[in-house]
This record gives sequence, C-alpha cells and structure tokens, in this order.
Amino acid sequence: MEMWINETKVKIKAGQTILEVAKEAGIKIPTLCFLPGAEEPSVPCGLCVVEVEGRGLVRACSTLAEPDMKVFTDTEEVKKVRKQKLESLVANHYGDCKAPCGQPCPGGLNIQGYISFIARGEYASALSLIKERLPLPATVGRVCPRFCEPRCRRAVVDMPVAINDLKRFVADWGLAHGELKPEIKPPTGKRVAVVGAGPAGLSAAYYLRLNGHEVTIFEAREEPGGMPRWAIPEFKLPKDVLRKEIESILSVGIELKTGKAWGRDFNLKDLFEEGFEAVFLAIGSPKERFHDVPGEKEAVSGLEILYKLNSGERPEVGKRVLVMGGGYTAVDVARSLLRLGAEVTLLYPRSRMEMPAPQREIREAEKEGVKLFLMALPLKIEKAGDTYKVLIARTVLSEPDQNKARKIVPLEGSEETHEFDLVVRAWGEEPDPEFKNFGELEAQLATTPGGQIKVSSGTQATNLEGVWAGGDFASGPKTVIQAVAAGRRAAENIHRYLMGLEKKGSTVSAKFDFNRGRRPEEMDLDFYRDFPTVPRETPSERPVAERVGQFEEVVLGLTEEQARREAERCLKCGCLGFHKCTFREVLIAENVAATKGRKRAKYKIDSDHPFIEVDSNKCIGCYRCVRSCLYEGLELKIYAQGTPEEEIHFSFTENCVSCGSCVDACPTGALTRKDSTVPFAKGEVREIRTVCAYCGTGCNILARVKNGSILEVTGENIPPNYGDLCVKGRFGYVFYRHPERLKKPLLRESRSQDFKEASWEEAFDFVAERLQKIKETYGPQAIGVLCSARTTNEETFVAQKFARAVIGTNNVDNPARV
Amino acid sequence: MRALERGLKLVVVDPRKTELAARADIWLPLRPGTNVPLANGIAHVIIREGLYNREFIEQHTENFEAYAQYILAEWPLERVERITGIRREYIEQIARLYARAERALIFWGLGVTEHRSGSNAVMALADLALLCGHIGRPGTGAMPLRGQNNVQGACDMGGLPYVLPGYQKLDDPLTRKKFEEIWGRPLPEAPGLTETMMYQEALAGRFKALYVVGYDVAMTHGNLNKVHRALEELELLVVHDIFWPKTADFAHVVFPVACLFEKDGTTDNGERRVQRIRKLVDPPEGVLTDWQIIAEISKRLGYEMSYQTVEDIFEEMRRLMPTFQGLTYARLEEKGLCWPVPDENHAGTELMFTDGFPRPGGKASFALPKYWVPEEEPTYDYPFVLITGRRLYHYNCGSMTRRVPGLMEWLPEELVEINPKDARKLKIRERDKIKVITRRGEVIARAHITNRVNPGTIFMDFHFLEPLTNLLTSPGIDVKVHTPEYKVAAARIELVD
Repeated sequence: MEMWINETKVKIKAGQTILEVAKEAGIKIPTLCFLPGAEEPSVPCGLCVVEVEGRGLVRACSTLAEPDMKVFTDTEEVKKVRKQKLESLVANHYGDCKAPCGQPCPGGLNIQGYISFIARGEYASALSLIKERLPLPATVGRVCPRFCEPRCRRAVVDMPVAINDLKRFVADWGLAHGELKPEIKPPTGKRVAVVGAGPAGLSAAYYLRLNGHEVTIFEAREEPGGMPRWAIPEFKLPKDVLRKEIESILSVGIELKTGKAWGRDFNLKDLFEEGFEAVFLAIGSPKERFHDVPGEKEAVSGLEILYKLNSGERPEVGKRVLVMGGGYTAVDVARSLLRLGAEVTLLYPRSRMEMPAPQREIREAEKEGVKLFLMALPLKIEKAGDTYKVLIARTVLSEPDQNKARKIVPLEGSEETHEFDLVVRAWGEEPDPEFKNFGELEAQLATTPGGQIKVSSGTQATNLEGVWAGGDFASGPKTVIQAVAAGRRAAENIHRYLMGLEKKGSTVSAKFDFNRGRRPEEMDLDFYRDFPTVPRETPSERPVAERVGQFEEVVLGLTEEQARREAERCLKCGCLGFHKCTFREVLIAENVAATKGRKRAKYKIDSDHPFIEVDSNKCIGCYRCVRSCLYEGLELKIYAQGTPEEEIHFSFTENCVSCGSCVDACPTGALTRKDSTVPFAKGEVREIRTVCAYCGTGCNILARVKNGSILEVTGENIPPNYGDLCVKGRFGYVFYRHPERLKKPLLRESRSQDFKEASWEEAFDFVAERLQKIKETYGPQAIGVLCSARTTNEETFVAQKFARAVIGTNNVDNPARV
Repeated sequence: MRALERGLKLVVVDPRKTELAARADIWLPLRPGTNVPLANGIAHVIIREGLYNREFIEQHTENFEAYAQYILAEWPLERVERITGIRREYIEQIARLYARAERALIFWGLGVTEHRSGSNAVMALADLALLCGHIGRPGTGAMPLRGQNNVQGACDMGGLPYVLPGYQKLDDPLTRKKFEEIWGRPLPEAPGLTETMMYQEALAGRFKALYVVGYDVAMTHGNLNKVHRALEELELLVVHDIFWPKTADFAHVVFPVACLFEKDGTTDNGERRVQRIRKLVDPPEGVLTDWQIIAEISKRLGYEMSYQTVEDIFEEMRRLMPTFQGLTYARLEEKGLCWPVPDENHAGTELMFTDGFPRPGGKASFALPKYWVPEEEPTYDYPFVLITGRRLYHYNCGSMTRRVPGLMEWLPEELVEINPKDARKLKIRERDKIKVITRRGEVIARAHITNRVNPGTIFMDFHFLEPLTNLLTSPGIDVKVHTPEYKVAAARIELVD
C-alpha cells in the first residue's frame, strides 16, 4: 500500500498513522506531545497538523494513513496553524535558554558549565571545558576585565558571581596538578606559520595543532608571550605563571622560533616558498600614540618602562613622577613606578568613570598611593636638566557634538606649571602600518583608512588567500581574551581552508533564545527574591604596605573552599534541559522567534524532589511526564491551557520511585535533573553505551560524556530494559566521582600497624612474596581467591586463573550468595 | 508494569509486602523459611487434580513417578498449611492458575536461596515448571533475579570452587587437558572450598591467605562475628575496592581500582546476556584495573599473563569455553547476546531447553525437594523473626549508593521495620531508637512502623556500616551450597532510652 507525502510516494502498513509513516520515510513532522504507546493528552499540542487533500487539516498523530492519500506537511495553511500554536506557547514560556554571563564573553566560554564543574569538585573537567576555547586561563584569570560579571543575574540578588576568580582558581589548580593532555587529531601534513607569539598567535597555533596541523610560530623577541610577557607588570601577572601556561600550549607539539622578525628575517613570500600553506599574522599593536603636545617627545614612553621592568631592569626614576594617560598602560606604569619608590601622579583629562582602565585597577592604584589628577591636561612639557616643567590646565567638556562626543576643552586661566623628576607618556598604542613595506605580497594587503590591516570579522581572513590576521594587530589594542578569541576564530577558518571544508551552516541566531530579561529593569525581581543571599568570596590580597618596593603578585586567588562556595552561588540561569529541548528545535524549524517570551515568572522553581527540579515556567502542557509515568508518581493539572490565564499545578506523589522517565519525556527544561548541572548542546557530547553498574538486570545505559566527566545517564532502547531505568541506574551513577575514592595502594606488614601509602611496585612485591611464603609453608590449599560480582568477565576470568594456574588451588568463590 | 497493564496475572510470595507485592493479584505472606513446603504444596494440588502436562513429562522428563509419590505422601495440604501459614484455598488457587496458564514464568530472588533449604527450594520451583511444561517456550521458564551487576558472569567465568569456566567439569580429562595446554600449568584436582568453608578452615588454622577482588565480605556475609574472627587469623588478606570497605579493616594490602565506568570488558546479566562494558571516563590518576593488578602479582610469582587488552582475555575465554565460542567483541557491538553461542553464526540462546535438557538422554529429572527447617525458630526469649534484605534506594554493601546525595535523601539510615501491633505492645513509636538482639549480638537502629511486615517479623537491610546488620544474622547455611541463612534469625527488641 502506498500514499503520497509532499508528492513523494511512501509505503504504508495497515494501522499506521500519518505521523508513523512520515517518520519511517524520514519526513519530519513536528510534534511536542506525541508519546509512542501512550494515550493522547486531553489538549494535544496540535503541531503535527498536516493537510490531506480533500479533507483539509488533520493531526498526523491520530489520523490513520490510507492508500493513495495525498498529504502535505508544510503548506501555507499548515505553517500558519503551527505558527499560531507555537506563538501561544512562546507567550507562556519564561526562562533563559543560555546563561546571560556567556553572551558578552568574547571567548564564548561555557561559564555556567565550568562553574558547575568547580562546584562538583571536578577541576580537571572545568579546565578541560575552559581550554576548549581558551588556552591561557591562568593569564586571562588574572587580567580579564570581566565582560561577563556585569551580566550575571546574581547581581539582582546580591553580587555577581566572581567568575574570573573561579577561572583563575581552576587554572592555577591545573598548573599545580600537572597539565591535561588534550586530544590531538591525526596529522594532516599541512603546515601553518603563525607570526607573533602573543595570546592571539599562541591560541591560533594551539587550536590548529589540535586539529592535526604542523605549526611553527615566529616571534621577533627572545621569548614568547607578547603583551602579557612584556607589558603587563609582574605584580598583576607573574611571569612564571605565563611561562608555564605557554609551555603547556607548546607541549602539544608546536615549534617556536624566537628572534625571527617579520620584515627583518622573512616575509610572506618566504613563508609560502618554505611550504607553509597558511599564515596567521598577529604581531600586536606596539606603536605609541602621540597627542601633539609641545615637548611630548621629552617624556619617557610608558611602554618602554614596562618592557624594561619585565626584562628584569629596575631603573632609577626619581621622586616626583607624572604619568599621562588613563588606560591599562598608564595605570600599570603608575603602579610600577610607585613600587620603585616614586610619588606618582596620574594625569587624565576626563573623569574617573571615563578612564579606559578597569575601575578595579584604578582603585588599587589609589590604595597603593597613586594620586589621580583628573580633568587636567598637559599643554607643554619642558625638560631642564634633571627636572621636567609641565604646564597643566584643568579641563571642561564641550557640549555633545553630532556624534554625541564631548570634547576636552582647557579651562582658561587654570594653567599652572608643575615640576617633576620624570614625566611618562602612556597615551595608548596603535598598530604599526610599516608592514606594507615588508615585501611584494605585504604591499597587496588591504588596510583601513588608518593604515591598520583589514580582516573580515567572522573569519579573520585578509584579502590575500592563505593569509589571516588577528589580535591587537588587526583590532588595535584590546584585551587578552579578545586576542585569544580572534586566534581561535582564525584557527577554525584556517582549518576549514586547509581541509577544503564548507563553512558550517549559519549558527542559529539569538532570536530563538528565550531570556529572562537583558536589563535589570526588564527582569522579574520577585522571581529572584526567592534566592537566598550569599556573600561573594573575595580573593585575598597582599597588604598595601607590602606592595611598595617589590613586584610580588597582589591578588592571591581564591582558596579551594572559597572557590567551592563561590561556585555554589551560581544561579544556573542557562537551561539544563537545553540538550533535550524539542520545543526549541521546533521553533527553529518553523522559524518562530522566542523574543515574545514572558518576562515575568508565574511559578517558583520547585527543588523539593531529591533528583528532579521542576520549573513550571517552562511547561508547555504536553503531559508527556504524566503519560510516561508507570507509577502515578506525579500529578499535573492545567487550567485555561493555552491562554494567557493558564495556570499549571505540578506535584510529585508519594508513589514516585524516582525512576526519572518523566524528565527524559519532558521536551523542555520544565523537568530537569539535579545531577546534570553542566549545560550542553546535543552535538557537543559523546554518547557511549554501557551497562548499569548496579543490579544483575544489566540495563543498558547511554552515558553522555564530555570533558572527562559523565554529564548524565539515560536508558538505551534495547533489551533487556528497552529504555527504562530505576533510580539507581539513572541517578546513582555519580558515585564514581566521589572524593572518597581510593587512589593509592595501602600496605601494612601486620594488623597491629597502621596502613601506609605504598607505591604500586612495593605493594605488588609484598603480596607476591607473602603468597609465595604461605604457599611454600602451608601448600596452595591454604590460599583462596574471592571474585567480585562487580568486575568484568575478563577480570573474573583472570582472578580464577590466578587461583588455579598460578596458586594451584580451586579455592575460588564469588558473592553469588548475597 | 506494562505487562500488568495488559492483564498479566502476578502472584508474589513474600513474608513482606514489597513494592511488587502491593501490585500483585495475589500476595502470599508465607512464614519465613517455608518456600519448600509451599512449592511442594502447589505441586501436590497439581498432581492430585491431574493438572500436570502429561505429554511434556513423558517426552522430556524422568523420575516423575518417584516425585509424584513423594509429594503426595509427604506434602498433604494440611501439613503445608500448618508450616507455611498460608490457607489451602490460596494454594489451590495458585496451583490452578499456574498449571492452567498457557504460559507462566517463575522468578525468584535471594528470598528463596538464603535459607538452609535454599537450593532445595530452587529445585522445588524447577519441578513445578517441569510438571506443567512451563519451560523452553517464550514466556515460560524459571529463573533467578540476580542482585549484582555481574554475579552471573562471576559464576559463568568459573569463579566457583567446583567448576571451571563455562561450568565445565573439573574432573573431565579432555577439559583438563584443554585448560592445561592453553594455560601451560597443571590444574589442581581437588574441588576447592566455598567461601563459607574458607572461614571455617581459617578458624581451624588451615587456611592462611585470602585475596578478595571487590567484595566486602566483612560487611555482607552472614553471622559476621565468625567471619571477622576468621579474617583475623589470616596471614595475608588482600583487598581490591573503589571505596574503603569494611573488609579493609582486616587487610594487609588494599588496592584501589578502576570502577565499571572506567574500563572496557563484558558482563553477563541475569538472562545470560553477555554485554559490552565501555570506558566512559579515566580512572583516578595512576589507578589500575583489577586484572592488571592480578597480572602484575602473577608475574612476580613466575607466571606471565601477557594480555595487552581485555579483548585478548576475551579471546582466551572463547577458546576455553564452548558456551562463549561464537562471541566476539565485534558481535557485541550492537547489543548483547545470550550464551550459549556455539559458533560465530549462532544468534545466541535467549531461550534455554527448547529441545531437551543437557543430560544424558536429553531429559530433565524431577528432584525430590527436601525441607530443612530454619536454623532458628522464634522462642520466648527471641520472639521475632528477623528478615534481612535490600531496599530500592541502596545497593548491596551500600558503598556506592551511600555516596549519592539524592539516594541518601530518600533513605539516610537503617530502619527496622516493625508491625504496628508489635510496636504498640512494646511501646515503640516511629523512629524510636531500638536495640535488636539475637544470640550473636546486638545493634541499635531506629524503628519504622509499617504494615509491610507482618506481626512477629521485623526487617532490616544491610546497606549501612552503622549498624552492621549481619552481626545479627543466623549461623545457618544452605545444606548444599553453603549460602548463609540471611532471611531467618530469632530476635528480640528493646527500646533504647
């Protein structure tokens, strides 16, 4: 028997519904409430509507397929009905598909994910998740301006989570506990040259290498590291931290050639002639900016001072020092000079809030004794012998011009001359356009009107085939995390170029992401009132009195206890049902935006169940939970379903046996598992089938594994359990990561002694020797082996072979009696 | 559950109203330890009323006459009723239900085997299946529900003192030759000691070293005082485990090992289904798997086990075990197969005994199941019967489940189940601390008053280190295979102030 779906002939069997026929034929019909073998709900979702010629619109799940029926799954009419239906569901949905903290992060880190791993004590997994997108976490964990933290929703409860401090904690843990060994893909035989060993170059090299390419980095200076190595002061970023982190990047098999400068030692043509198939340019942005102040060349370059300090020099700087500027360099130089014993004044023509340096660092500078001289501007600098004379005027800001910019205007009559022993200029940096003269290929590189290299923002590609650029070189001075992101982006695109891969289909846009409000005034403050306040953990700092005169690191990082407590503060905004959400899939497939989602919560989150969290704000009323439950373990009542007045009452009953099948059945994040605290997308995890570790039924489980951690376990639809699991199978798997796991062999000569940790060799030798002695003295019959009921067949086989072939006894038994 | 919804009839025999009993069509709360009389009583009805499957018995069995005579003579319903406490009407009803069903299955758990007449009770149940021909067809059979992940495999692999891997006979010369050739060592001839006998021998000073691979004997064995004394006699006790086991308190060497999520291999479930275990995550740094540890010690004892991977071990198993001959890792990729799998084209044996039984002549023989009363009966001083067992939210010695926070929320401690009638008599209220005393010892735990247990019985699990329930359990053991009589101990209760 046959029928037609979208004018394609398909086979049908007697008793099949249109939905089943379409599924077999691989034709997608959306549905949210369909549950094979279960009764349909009183209010079906209605999304499986299709058009049948001669009959109009019908539900595919409940309409039997008939021979020669002509079915259309996506006519205008069908789409319209589905859209209406979905829009009414959207209007009742309240939640964050993705955590808001991750959105502003230039590196695109899964922040909620690594915080959850830290809360679980799985530091290696946290680090592995971070390193998927950031290979320099100890560096970024010290210098990042924290794009994420202002967006943390915890801010409406008390204070944002100390995200960057947590990153630093886990990165430092990694440096102390030995590095992770990332998986490196098989060699591709392709060679890539990276020019510049700063954050962008190192990141590009790292991700290219993980994809199996051969990477060589050319660095002009004698050591890798770029700005973090040469410009960021030791007291913010100790150089041995950076060095260790770079070593671990290089240890994946990256070649580094130092003392090789682009334009001096080689040019692009040379690289291509040497056999490199792609080049990534990331030489940074080291050219100083000037402001046409008379005598400004007499002042000393702030960047030069930082370079000297980071090379180990400690120059004489005099007593009275003026630093001109308000960015990172200015503040860093000011704090550095203070440490050399100077009295430092920081001169900036606008207000404190307008200084580009992070407010946190400005506060530190003030605490240490840097004097801020704000709303003031140098007009003239003169050097007379060892003394500088600087004419300084107070400033006012002009009325906003067309671009709403307010210019700096010197206040007439406020000019005064100040004397200093040293004047430092730190007015920022810009890329050096000199590269255009490095060779014939270089001359062809397109630039911006300002002379900066031009790249496409999505790919970091330049106008030349095979040449990419990124980091400060392409963007002007930015943060480390932005350079890392550019490097990773370039690496992905270079990889695609080298392997001839298509660009991945456009990533799904943010319009399908529900969110609980982007700005505080949009957010439902009542909803957040339910979360108890917990004070934010602050890393300890070196006392101010100790800071002058030395360059030891100021911020000391969170302790393990602090980090665990801080990680617990995370509100877990990002939906933990993200990977199983069919609702979102259907919205994307039917192109219905989530932007009209509710901004006010109707229900409180219910965490009373030991394993399952209920957020009725995300319920779409499909009743799959109730219909999948074999135990009448839950009750769901919905009044005025599908209307704005809809009211949902959900509760577990005494009959609940915690088997968790309702969570698997739920097509949104309304029911989520408390064990699954790391948000992930479907395609991101490895799904591995194995057998439950508990009873002898031998249920097949499907484990979702990522970053060396089991993220969740669900039933596999094959014998003997056909998808079902009990509470232990579905939720009890977490024992494996309990901190009380035994990790070292323990040994004692006799029972009167205490156990001591022993090496494996020692323990093997001891057991073998004593067994040998007992066998010689009493015979093999005095020895027995008890096998396990929880080891594999292979291991039991080896154990009984050990008894029979090695010891020489049939004294072997197992726990079949308990 | 789904079968029940489709109309399956369920009979549950258990002194305690378990979760399953609550859903049964008929629940028989028999007196603890009286499985043999009940099964024989059912057989009595079937034989007396001629409900047995004559054709099946003639074609596939022997010894029926002797069996029928034994049952009719020894097990009149008056006697069964008196011993089991189950009224004859129920026994008759169940006998008819079972015999007349087109297809019927018998499952049993440790409630059948953990008695002095445990192995006889299993035979009595197998006899019922033979009697009605409920065997060798889909939807029929008699099988144990196995409590631990690979307890089936532990037996299948020859982790038993009286058989070799694949249940091959120790005294068969051809089998011995095969093993000796592949292993390159002579096989010991005498059958070994069962675990229970090892402790006996240790106390007698003849048994000196015990190597325990992942089995917390000092917590889970019956009548623990004796086990603990025996372990203290040993000159060497080696233990493998993932968490500190009670047994380690008595050990000389404790090896940490990888758990089932951290290694590859196979396990056998209760259906004899051989399934692949796959590595999900790495073990804690430096930690080895059980077989690697044994191989290292073996090497130091002069015997090289030169396996590179677990698949190498599996290949050796296949060569030695006819039941596994047709299994390969590749074949197990999709889903597990039930042994026996005699060759690589064989689809596995989900159903056993479809054409005869593995005995000379191909016929099964009726056993004559004998009844041994439990080691202890309630007395004036010890008026309760203590039953031990497990609960949904915990697993065996509890070392894994006690480390899962949600499971500990469901059941954080040992609770002594006691019937409201008994509780009233003893003035015990919910969650009162009580002392449970048997002839071997006493422990303190909180009481849980529930109708799940009948008057005169109390129930405890053995999932917790405090209290150590098995300090109380009976010294009785199965007359044939030495399983401790966990299910019946005479006990007394006192309220703790």
